Amino acid sequence: MQPEAASPVIEFWDVSYRVAGTQVLSGFNLKVRSGETLVLLGRSGSGKTTSLKLVNRLLTPTSGEIRVKGVSNAEGDVIRLRRSIGYVIQDVGLFPHFTVEKNIGLVPKIEGWPEDRVRARVLELLQMVGLAPDLASRKPHELSGGQRQRVGVARALAADPEILLMDEPFGALDPLTRDELQREFLLLQQRLHKTVLFVTHDLREALRLGSRIALMEAGRLVTVAEPREFLRSTDPSASAYVRAFGDGLESAANRGTS
Amino acid sequence: MNVFRFMWQNHGQVLELTLEHLRLVGFSALFAMLIGIPLGIAIAHRPRFNKPVLASANIIQTIPSLALFGFLLPVPWLGERADRLAILALTLYALLPIIRNTYTGIRGVDPAVVEAGRGMGLTESQLLFLVELPLALSVILSGVRVAVVISVGLATIAAAIGAGGLGEFIFRGLSMVDDRVILAGAIPAALLALLADFGVGWLERRLQPR
Amino acid sequence: MTIRRKLWISVLAALALLLPACSSAHSDRIVVGSKNFTESFILGELIAQEIEARTHLQVERRFYLAGSYICQQAILAGRIDVYPEYTGTALTAILKESASGGKSGDKQEVYRRVKSEYERRFGLTLTPAFGFNDTFAMEIRGEDARRSNIKTLSQAAAFARQWRAGFGYEFMERPDGYRGLAATYGLRFAEQPRIMDLGLLARALKDHQIDLAAGNATDGLIPALDLFVLEDDRHYFPPYEAVPVIRQQTVQRHPEVVQALAGLAGKISDEEMQRLNYAVDGQHRDVKEVVHEFLSSKGLVQ
Repeated sequence: MQPEAASPVIEFWDVSYRVAGTQVLSGFNLKVRSGETLVLLGRSGSGKTTSLKLVNRLLTPTSGEIRVKGVSNAEGDVIRLRRSIGYVIQDVGLFPHFTVEKNIGLVPKIEGWPEDRVRARVLELLQMVGLAPDLASRKPHELSGGQRQRVGVARALAADPEILLMDEPFGALDPLTRDELQREFLLLQQRLHKTVLFVTHDLREALRLGSRIALMEAGRLVTVAEPREFLRSTDPSASAYVRAFGDGLESAANRGTS
Repeated sequence: MNVFRFMWQNHGQVLELTLEHLRLVGFSALFAMLIGIPLGIAIAHRPRFNKPVLASANIIQTIPSLALFGFLLPVPWLGERADRLAILALTLYALLPIIRNTYTGIRGVDPAVVEAGRGMGLTESQLLFLVELPLALSVILSGVRVAVVISVGLATIAAAIGAGGLGEFIFRGLSMVDDRVILAGAIPAALLALLADFGVGWLERRLQPR
Repeated sequence: MTIRRKLWISVLAALALLLPACSSAHSDRIVVGSKNFTESFILGELIAQEIEARTHLQVERRFYLAGSYICQQAILAGRIDVYPEYTGTALTAILKESASGGKSGDKQEVYRRVKSEYERRFGLTLTPAFGFNDTFAMEIRGEDARRSNIKTLSQAAAFARQWRAGFGYEFMERPDGYRGLAATYGLRFAEQPRIMDLGLLARALKDHQIDLAAGNATDGLIPALDLFVLEDDRHYFPPYEAVPVIRQQTVQRHPEVVQALAGLAGKISDEEMQRLNYAVDGQHRDVKEVVHEFLSSKGLVQ
């Protein structure tokens, strides 16, 4: 067990979420430490995406509390909260009528950054996510899927948030591109040390990217473990998951390339 | 042709009636947009209300125009001035296409885009003006186009109650049993409708988000 | 954002289109309107030609407007400046006051009432009347009038028992039509009056199928078929004096128009109007010519 880091950045205190008669989350307790990549792993319907959306208040818990940097996220301005958290989703959701530059620079712009500072930041981010600077003037429909998601990540990082929420960001990409982006994500994390809450159903991805894996099933947290421990876990759900994913998982857990 | 000679000889009146016609159509289109677009946005964001609103606008459209003019005539203030009444009636008729297209346009925006925008910390009004409206604009304009073309036609009937416009030539021509006068009203009215269709259509294409 | 700029450009363009339509001021132009029947048309042309002759103003004609309501709307909105109306119609149809038979009174009184109400409520005014009264006309054959020396309805009442009457449907139905008339003058006919199409009444009278008909006082067929209009000595019918109605704004901006119209005051008698109507309806002559001829004959134009 790792020693407890300094105060956790994201905390779930007994969180439940119920909608249209379905209990999506119940009694969810979790603490996310600064600088870690905590992967929420589970099948569809396990409540992992819901948990993510509760952090930036796209959803409101039925009971319980979510704290961001020690403060309940139910207090204070929700807009300020969201602007201090980067949000990346599977469908990317780039604004089709904006150029890449405008997409990435939107939050800084509405935060009032001067134009030249925005421009500089955009170029810096493009370089960071491995895109050529001349893509800045292109529109999303001119980019490939992989390029679009890189822009999505750049956009999320634009205002230099401490926290990143990522909801199956590489799920819609082909395996080669997915592998590429996963590799680059690791490099980026080493550089930036953001606190990342990462949702996926892919165990391989979880083992590769996560500093800890939180397995969820039917709205409950089943187990939390580091990747190598997860593979050896005796928890029935965890081992079922491991079995379902077959061989070659050790290398992923060792942060190897496939 | 006789008609064109007549129109040339009376070009002052043709111009004046055309301007009157444009005034009726212009004001009603403007009011319909000022009422219809916000209403369309409201029901797009609160789909609970879409049925009553769309149904009401639909009912208004079903009322025959001359009958609507007739209903409104005895109303105080409105009935005293035919052009006020005509502008109100034309506005009502223009509402349905505008409300419906605004609703469709806004709801047609990719939900992922809206979610990303909201998650990034855009306020609801920023989301509306920076993202939803620009992306829905082309569809909204197509509703405006339909509304304007309908209005140009309906405004010719407004002359029957004294609101002026190109319909006046048509009605006077009928009284006088003079084809040239009838056509002097009908031809510009048709041209106006075509112009409106092409003009707004051009704008639609220019403002498409792609 | 170029999209936003394009939006603003299109909004401004649309507004620019509205602007010329907003101002409907006629600078040096007078627009003359008329209703959609021959007499109104003739009066409108009279007004137009008189203004053209007496002033430097350009006149635009907007004739054949379908009725009093349309003309009223047009003049209120400033789309026309002047048009010919009838005092009786103004009183009942536009001011919506009753002019029930017998109490309708004096034509001077009706004129004054209409003029003051129009000025007070609509910003319109009347110039002096043309001089004829296009009211309901009780017509008999000229020969009968001369033979029995009948001039008024009161005198005619004595002969009613021997006569057959013919009326239009509306005249029979209106409370201020036949019923009131019969009561006022004690008229009793041999049989029930026959209801006929208005267009056929004059013919039927001429052909001795009926002996008394209700028509319009200025109908062109009256002189043509040698018919005689009985005088309404008990003032049963409200006066329908033809008058120019004009916008007060127009009067202020172009006082010379009022002078020109004053020149027409009282210049047309019932008979003269009948002849003018007949020239256009009966003889199918061009209205402009007929009017010009008339004005010259009166020395109102060279």
